[in-house]
Order: sequence, then structure tokens, then C-alpha cells
Amino acid sequence: MNLGFVHPALAWGALAALLPLLVHLFFRRRPRPVSFPAVEFILRARRETQRRLRLRRILLFAARTALLLLVALALARPELRREGGGTVAATTGPAAVALVLDASASMTYRRGDEPLFERARADLGDAIGALGSSDAATLIVCGGPAPSAPAPSYDRAALRRALRDARPTMSYADVGACLGAAAVALSDPAVATLAKRIVVATDLAATSWRLGGPPPEVNGPKGPQRPEVRVVDAARGSELPNRAVVDLAAEPDLASGPRGYRVTATLANASAEPVNDVRIELRTSAAPTAPVAVQGFVEIPAGGTAKKTLVASFEKGGPASVSVALAPDALALDDARVLAVAVPRDAKALVVDGSPSPVKFRDEAFFLEAALQSSASPVRTTLVDVGGLAQHRFADFDVVFLLNVRELGPRAVELRSFVEQGGGLFVALGSEVDFELADKELAGLVPPLHVVKTATDTGGPARFDAVDFSHPALAIFASGDAREGLLGARTYKYALIRPERRGEGARTLASFDDGAPALVETHPGRGRVILFTSSVDRDWSDWSIRTSFLPAMQRFAAYLAGVEERRVVSSVVGATRTVELEQGQTLKALVAPDGRELAADSLPRPGPPGSPPVVVPDAPGLWEVRVESRGEVRLDPALAFAVFPDPRESDTRRVAPAELTAWLGGADHAALAQDARGERRIPLWSVLLALALAAFVAESALAAR
Amino acid sequence: MAEPRTTFLDPALLAKLASLQVRVRAVVEGVIDGLHRSPLRGQSIEFAEHKEYTPGDEIRHMDWKAYARRDRYYVKQYEQETNVRAWLVVDASASMGWRGAPGRLTKLEHAATMAGSLGHLLSRQQDSVGLVAAADRVMRAVPPRGGASHAATIVDTLASLAAQGATRLAAAADHVLEHAPRGGLVLVFTDLLDPDEHVVRRLGLLRRRKHEVVLFHVLDPAEIEFPYEDDALFEPVEGGAPVEARGRDVRRGYLEVFERWLEDTRRSAAAADVEYVLARSDVAIERILIPFLARRERRLA
Repeated sequence: MNLGFVHPALAWGALAALLPLLVHLFFRRRPRPVSFPAVEFILRARRETQRRLRLRRILLFAARTALLLLVALALARPELRREGGGTVAATTGPAAVALVLDASASMTYRRGDEPLFERARADLGDAIGALGSSDAATLIVCGGPAPSAPAPSYDRAALRRALRDARPTMSYADVGACLGAAAVALSDPAVATLAKRIVVATDLAATSWRLGGPPPEVNGPKGPQRPEVRVVDAARGSELPNRAVVDLAAEPDLASGPRGYRVTATLANASAEPVNDVRIELRTSAAPTAPVAVQGFVEIPAGGTAKKTLVASFEKGGPASVSVALAPDALALDDARVLAVAVPRDAKALVVDGSPSPVKFRDEAFFLEAALQSSASPVRTTLVDVGGLAQHRFADFDVVFLLNVRELGPRAVELRSFVEQGGGLFVALGSEVDFELADKELAGLVPPLHVVKTATDTGGPARFDAVDFSHPALAIFASGDAREGLLGARTYKYALIRPERRGEGARTLASFDDGAPALVETHPGRGRVILFTSSVDRDWSDWSIRTSFLPAMQRFAAYLAGVEERRVVSSVVGATRTVELEQGQTLKALVAPDGRELAADSLPRPGPPGSPPVVVPDAPGLWEVRVESRGEVRLDPALAFAVFPDPRESDTRRVAPAELTAWLGGADHAALAQDARGERRIPLWSVLLALALAAFVAESALAAR
Repeated sequence: MAEPRTTFLDPALLAKLASLQVRVRAVVEGVIDGLHRSPLRGQSIEFAEHKEYTPGDEIRHMDWKAYARRDRYYVKQYEQETNVRAWLVVDASASMGWRGAPGRLTKLEHAATMAGSLGHLLSRQQDSVGLVAAADRVMRAVPPRGGASHAATIVDTLASLAAQGATRLAAAADHVLEHAPRGGLVLVFTDLLDPDEHVVRRLGLLRRRKHEVVLFHVLDPAEIEFPYEDDALFEPVEGGAPVEARGRDVRRGYLEVFERWLEDTRRSAAAADVEYVLARSDVAIERILIPFLARRERRLA
């Protein structure tokens, strides 16, 4: 805060305050001699009133001096200038002002009892109060979608109303882009003659400023020019330490059981000090009040990240959610994350053993049954031979394994119907299979078989090659030991598919190194079928004794049964997401984490008619979908999806003031202030005149006594 | 019986009268008109016998107690009406020659007029009147004597007085004590601006000698009201260092001190059994003398 004068030259008039002193010293009037008999009484009176008279004379002198001084200073029009933390080359005269309010998620950071957003709002309220009557102004609330700003106006009430109605968003804000929008607003021809000024209230989070881009420029009659920018620090110069969960992923953990998951949280520490023993809690629910399933402690380096993996197991399969939370801190938004997961359900498999053997390891189904019945498998198997097949209905199972089956007979029709109704079928070959008969019974379910090829005849056992790792059942073999375990399997015999019909609706998931299909998938009706062109015992291949066999079979079973682990894609606040529905479902509403319902009618459908609606989630957490299916309206947990806070908002490290000021054009154009009142000029002349009037009254009263 | 006068000589007009003799005559006539009879009957008139009342006798000499005892009217007869021996003591110090505004009598002129008038009244009833004029010492003294020609001498002496020197009223009191051993009437005219703060007590010594003492405190209205406003260099009339002060600054304090002094003077006079009469020089002398004489008349009745 400093003092200035509108007319500094007139301040020299303050020297007039010396007049009473000069008059006292040099122009003192000689008293008139008066003859008086009772002088003794005057002397006594003087002795008794001397102190009072002296005080009165001093007060009188002070009043006269103050009167002259105050009037002289008032004529110079003094004003108090509150500059805050920085100064900008002061513009004189009316200005067009763009007020930019940072409404990003990080502005919910609380310092004391007050979020930074409220302090920023108050700062801009002060800035509005400091506007002159000739200043035009506009407000840009910076957060969420692409910023835009109305042209500056003189409607202060509307401006204050817009400021009052502003709310912090939970999304990322590009403050630099908002300054660009402000510059565009200030380029309005209606305010072309006014000086241009931008006041931005922000927490100065470095991630919000893209200093690599061009600085804001206002287009005016004289071409582009840089506006004055006053950056008001809502954090008042303080650092904003923050701990956050910036990423969350869940992977099935077969070692933990059929519904076990490894949940890996990435934790960030946006402060200059490392944090130790940070407690992290995992819940198998999105509700923060749910009991903690697992908890752990983690250390996060200063300004860095750390990963923490916790293992949890779900009680049952199906749609579920998992949440990870840190101890609450000043920015509550990113202290927890929710993730939606599709936990595999239990599947029932019917294994038809076409070549049973009393010797276990020679039994066609020995290895498969062992794989499907392991503790981590979601599949419950029923093993029958062809003769015992009559005692079971395919419809009672989710998936049927035909292992080296020669003939189904009349059950082939039932099997076809089962598959077309959505059932799963896995067919493995062997020496018992009659290709011609199989082509008849399984026509349309598997590609027609041609001949058996013995790989050893051509120079050695065949190996898997050209594996489609994008397939859900094979994705886990995409890398590392799992990949080696799959590609290391050796196959000695396998069936060839008739080349002329190989491609009809079939998808080759893996081939042998000679190009012959090894795993082929078809989709008859609503069902799924996978053909393995070799055997699952050790007659034609040693895959059954490879490490990849067990997970592959479990995954094939889950996939074919439709209970495979499904990855639910999460969204980020502010990012557009398409609401995908299952067949036969009609969207009714989206339910936000805070309970708000977004009716389907209010959601945009950017595509052609009938295309799915899209939503831009505005809050982190688990969003649920209310659908109508078969006349019933319900929340479909399988459609729920998680929305993450934008990790950029968790990085509360602040931009360097010098760097920011330089980007904005240097000290002549930009200033960083601790509050917005810096621009306030408080005129003092009226106060001085009032004081002068008081001095005049005091002088009159003292002189009259 | 003549009606008492209700209009008196304006002091400003009186001041324009050239000589003291004329002023005294004007005042005396006014005073006599204002009174029913001579008020200055002395205490020395002594009772002799009773005489039976006959028409024409003074009713005021009727002895009502004798009437009560004998049921007949008697009037008192006085064996010898002795002359009152009166002293006019006039302060002729320099401070008495001061007046607060032109066109106004000086305090000495005011005092001399009062003294001359009273001297004339006393002489008219065959009393002896003497004069003592003093400053720091006795300047002029006229022994008490009766007769109209002596009254003229007194007035002439008063007219010839010039105000000068410091005030030392004790000198005059000592002179009276020395020359008037028995009880008489002492009329003192002074402004009491005497360095001796106990001068009133000294006058009280006269009272012990059976003198009846009346103190006419002669003051100019400017001394009482202090009408000065601006810066002034106040120069003492009787010598001393001048005092620089702003009138309005010291007025309040001056008035407080002066009022206190007046009150102390009145209290001291009462304690010494000295009759105190404030004689402002802007007040008509008749307004001062007639109430004073009326009080005496009531006291002697």
C-alpha cells in the first residue's frame, strides 16, 4: 500500500502549513501599551492559567497548521493505492477488464476452513468493487469444457451474479487457454478504445499453465497487444502439499482364488518433503463407509510417485467396485479412487471325454479336468463319457468341452441349439474323431476338417505362432514368461482345416508355425465356439503339460461361458464417454456418485439417430446406469463405470512466479499479487477536507475562547 | 414632604462639570432631595429630659415607653447636641488617578466628589469635618472644623489633589488615630490597591478607638469587568514591570482573582466592623450615597 497524488505538483502547497510558524516568528504584532492599576491581578491570573493557555496556544497553532496542510494536500487529490504483492504499469483512464476465476478441481484445496475457490471468488469480488464506473468487465469461469467469455459490459449486477453463481468444477482447467478466451473477449470492438486488463484468481498450480504456448494477446485497432495481467494468488504464496491416488488398476490374481484381484494404486506426493508411513486402505466397495478389506502403508518420495499393490478377493462374481483411499488431506478430491471391475462368475462346464482311460494320465480329459478344477478356477466341471451324455442336458451348463469325441449322434442337434442360444463349446481333436462325421454333426459350429498332419514328418513338432493376444482369453500370454509358456508348447499332430472354407465366420486365434490354424473361434448364433485342432491330452501335443495350459483352459472356459474377467474402462472427469448398453436395454438415466440423476433425454447423442448417448462426467466416483430391460427399470451394475479425477489436478506444485511473469510479458505487463485489492485506489481528499473542516471548527472554538 | 428623586446625575455628565465645587453642589442637592432629612445625626447627641408633647414637636422624639408608663405623651429633650467629628480620608495615590475610558471620572475625582458631598452635608448640620489625603504618606490634611466656609475649604483642598505615588493607606489611618483620639466618623475613599494586604485590618484599628469607619471602595468598571480583548502591554500605574498578555486569554483568570479579592475585602471589612460600600465610578454618586445614608438613618432611628 502506498500513497500517491493525482496532482503531485499541488502537493507543494503543503508548505503553506509553515505559514503559522513564520507568522509567529517574523510577523509578531507588538502589543499595545495599556495603563492599568490592577496588574497584580493579571499576573496572578496568568500564573493560574498559564498551563491551560499554553496548551490552548499549542492546539491553536496545530489547528491552523493542520488546516493549511490538509487543504493543500486535499487539492493535490491524494489517494491510497493498495498494490498487493506486485505492481503493474498502471493504466490510467477506463479499462476493459476480464476476470478469470480458476474453477479447476485443485481449487477445492482447503487452507484453514476455506477452499481456495472461495478465496479466489472473494478476490474477484474485491476486483469488481475496485472497478471504476467507466470500466467494462466480463467474467470467465475457468474449468471444464473449452472456455468462452461474453464481451465486457457495464452491468455490475450481472457480473456479481455470475461470480456468485460460479461453482468449482472437478475437472482440469487450462488457465492459459482461459486467458486466451479472456483476450478474445477483450478484443471486442465495443471496448477497442479502452485499456485491456486481465485479473486471474488461481492457485498457480503449474499443470494449469501451459507456458510453452503463446501468451494471451488482444487484437485491437493497432494490431495485437499484450494486456496487463494481474495474477492473484489464492494460496497467498503458500505451498500446497498434496497426496493423491493418481492411478488405480486391478488385475486378476489367480493365486488368490477365482475372484482374487491385485489392486495397484499409484500414489503421488506433490510436496517438497517425502512422506512416510502413509496409510492406504482398500475397500471392495465404492462406499467410503464400507469396511476396510486390506490396508497398508507406503512411502512416497518428494515430488514423486509410488506404487502400492494390495490383494483382495471378492465374495462373488459379477460387477463390483473397489476403492483405494489415503488419509484425508487438504485436497479431498483425489484422496480416494473407485474402480469398477467385472469379477468372473462361476461357470459350469460339461466335459465329454471321447477317449476315457482307466489310467488317469492317459485319459483324454485328465489334464483339462485338472486345469478346470484348480483352486483358482471359476469353472465347475462335470465329466462324462459319450455314453453317459444322455444323463445330462446341455442347457444345464455354460460351456461344453468335446474332447476327442467321435460321434454325438442325435445330441448333435441339441448341442447346436445350445450353442446358438448362447452356450459355449470347446472342441479338441484326437485320434477318435471322424472328420467326415464331425463335419456333419458340427457343421456350422466349427470349420470343416480336412486331414491330420503329423508335424514330425516335416522336420519337428509344431509350435504356436501368430497368436492373437488381443483375445480376452489369450491376453495374459502377451508377454513375459506366460508368452514363453504358450509358445513353448510342442504339437506333433494336428488337423488341417479345409482351406477353401477356412475363413467363413471363423477367427484364427493362433496358428502353428507352418501357418495351419491351431485355435479357431466361431460365433454361431449367440454362442461362442473354439476349436483346438490338436488334442488336449499328450497324444498329439504336450501343451497339456505346459504352464500355459492351465490358465488358457480356465480362460477359454470362462470366455466361452461368458463369465470371463472383463475390464471396465474408466473415464476421467470432464472427458466424454459413450454409454454402451447391452442388447435389449433402454437407457433411462445416469446416476452420479452424489446421487444426482441425469435423465437419458438430457444426454446428447452426437452420432446418427439411434446412436448411443454420451456423457461428460463432472464428478469422480462410481457412476451407475439405470436401464429398462424386459419391462423392468433397474440399475445395471454391469454397466457401472468409474470416473477418475484428472491426475493433473492432483499435482499442486506451483508455477514459478518469475517464469509466469516472463511468459505474460514481463513486469510491464504482468504482476503476481497476494490479493485483488491491489488495484484499489482509495481517494483521500474528501477525508482530508473533512479533517480540515474539523481543524477549522477547532481553530474557531479555540480562538473564540 | 418632597418626593425622593428617581433620576440622578449621569456620571458621564457629572464628569463634564468643570470643577469639583459644582459637582459637589449638584450631588448635595440631589442627595438632599432624595432624603427626608439629614441622615448624618451623630452619636454624640445626648438625652437630657422629657417634655410633655405639644403640637409641633418632633413625633420621632416621642418616648413611647414613657407613654406606656404614664399614659401621657412625652418627647425627649436633648441637653446638648454635640458636633460629630468626621474625617474624610481620601486615597490620592497614582492608581486613583486612573480611569478605564475617556469621558469617565477618575477614581480620585469620583472619590473627591463623594467626599466633598458628604463633607458639605456634614457641615450643613454643624458637624466638624476634617480631611486627610494620602498616598504613600499623608499629602494633605485639614483639621476638623465646622461651618460652611470650612466645607468650602475641604472641597477646595480635594479639588487641588493630584494622584501620585504609591498607595499606603496605613499612613492616613495613623494620622487619624493621632489627631482624633475619641470616637468620630471616619469616611475612607480608596481603591485599596495597597501593597499591604491587611490594610482593612489597619482601618479596623480606628474602630477600636470608637470611630465609626465607612470604607468607600472606589473602582473603575474596567477594573471590575476587564474589557480587554487583544494583546496588550499592561503597565502598572504605580510603577513596576509591565505585563504582556492577551486580554481574552487572561480575562477569565483575572475576573476569578479579582472577584476573590473583592470577597476577601468584604469579609475583612465585616470582620473589622468596617462598613463597606462599593463605589463604581460609572454609577451615579447619588445611587451610592443615598442608599448608604438611608441605611444610617434606619440604624440611628
